[in-house]
Amino acid sequence: MTKVIKEVQINETVLSIDQLTLGFPGQDPLTTISWAIHRGQHIALLGKSGSGKSTLLKRIIQGSSSIQCQTQRIAYLSQEPALLPWVSVLDNILLGFKLRGETIVSKHLERAHQLLTDVELCGFQYHKTNHLSGGERSRIALARALLEDADLLLLDEPFAALDRSTKIQMTKLCKELFANKTVILVTHDPRDALGWLDMAVVLTSHGLRGPFDLADFQNDHALIQALDGDL
Amino acid sequence: MNRTLGYFLPVTLLIAVWWSIVVLFDIPHFILPAPDRVATVLFDRFALISVHAATTALEIICGLFLGSIMGFTVACLIGDSKRLQSITMPALIISQALPVFAIAPILMLWLGYGFASKLAMTTLIVFFPVTASTLAGFRALPASWDATFQTLRPRRVRLFFHVQLPLAVPYALSGVRVAASVAPIGAVVGEWVGSSSGLGYLMLHANARGQTDLMFAALVVLCAEALIIWSVSNRISLRFDQKYTANV
Repeated sequence: MTKVIKEVQINETVLSIDQLTLGFPGQDPLTTISWAIHRGQHIALLGKSGSGKSTLLKRIIQGSSSIQCQTQRIAYLSQEPALLPWVSVLDNILLGFKLRGETIVSKHLERAHQLLTDVELCGFQYHKTNHLSGGERSRIALARALLEDADLLLLDEPFAALDRSTKIQMTKLCKELFANKTVILVTHDPRDALGWLDMAVVLTSHGLRGPFDLADFQNDHALIQALDGDL
Repeated sequence: MNRTLGYFLPVTLLIAVWWSIVVLFDIPHFILPAPDRVATVLFDRFALISVHAATTALEIICGLFLGSIMGFTVACLIGDSKRLQSITMPALIISQALPVFAIAPILMLWLGYGFASKLAMTTLIVFFPVTASTLAGFRALPASWDATFQTLRPRRVRLFFHVQLPLAVPYALSGVRVAASVAPIGAVVGEWVGSSSGLGYLMLHANARGQTDLMFAALVVLCAEALIIWSVSNRISLRFDQKYTANV
């Protein structure tokens, strides 16, 4: 029965992109893509620098006539955690409620405290964020995204600026906390995604290639071939 | 100790060079008075100088305050709309491009020879740097922050007051810091064109009577006022900088 439910969920399309052209105003288009992402999928989005990966995520957030998104609950995490330095960690986590003008009730506070515990920042709720390390700030952003209860998580190399051990710790956290979410992770290093994400797609000038098994990219040669669009 | 030395060493050096020039080239006091002569005038005519210094200080402080408030408010009103910015920018640039000397007689005509015209001159000179810096602050939100906040589905007004406005504060204060260093120009030019009080007025009268030492004494007090006002705005600015500057 559980298996049937999971199959139904997986087949439900969360995001559907039809002939979306990526590029910058006044420049030649980078590429045109079509893509369907199903609920619960965890996908690594690979591509060379400047191939349009981050632009694609931002276009999904902004919306377009070529993009059909079944949910409004989207969370975005980038290398810059976007934390306000003049408010506390707790207020940063609850920022979404404040910006929407929603009343913060006790269940929100309880959830926020629980999430702080989950991201191993229990006791930091009243600290100011500019006194925290990069890893700690990333975890606060993670907690905020989780509190928003987003269906679709767009992660734009959120841990790229962190050291290897913190990155592994963050990846482990994401694997646990994002288990039931739909995730697109932009990364240059497929090792970040191994053991967490289901598959990889590669954004090239000829469109999206894949899906590939992440294990295929454990040697650099295969990864370079894929990034060049030759795989 | 080093900090105190950092303040006093350049001033001491300047006075030493000034004094040496007067002594070495035997310059008459009505061309360039020696520092000791200026100091004597400062003490002897302290009551007179302080009255005029108070007028100028009031003009600078009030002009700086009013110009900053107006600059910040205008930037807040047009900051969120590129269209409004493109409409108002030419007027703002013209307000800055016109030399204050050219506007001063008109302001005298409209506002009279009293405090109001000097306040208007100082406000005008302060207004643009504060507006331009605050606008730069509104544009400084990184693209990734923008994307993050967009996913939080904010109300526009709330995003403005909770995020954009505080992030623009360090930029606005940086504008105030720049404005504080040019604000005395507005006050003194206003006093030169027409007034009955102020250091500019005192300098003009001292010059007409050949009292170069009194002119220099007024100039020294004006420098001190400008430095104090700049230091205070710099301190306030740095305090807010630490609080509102985003970690990106």
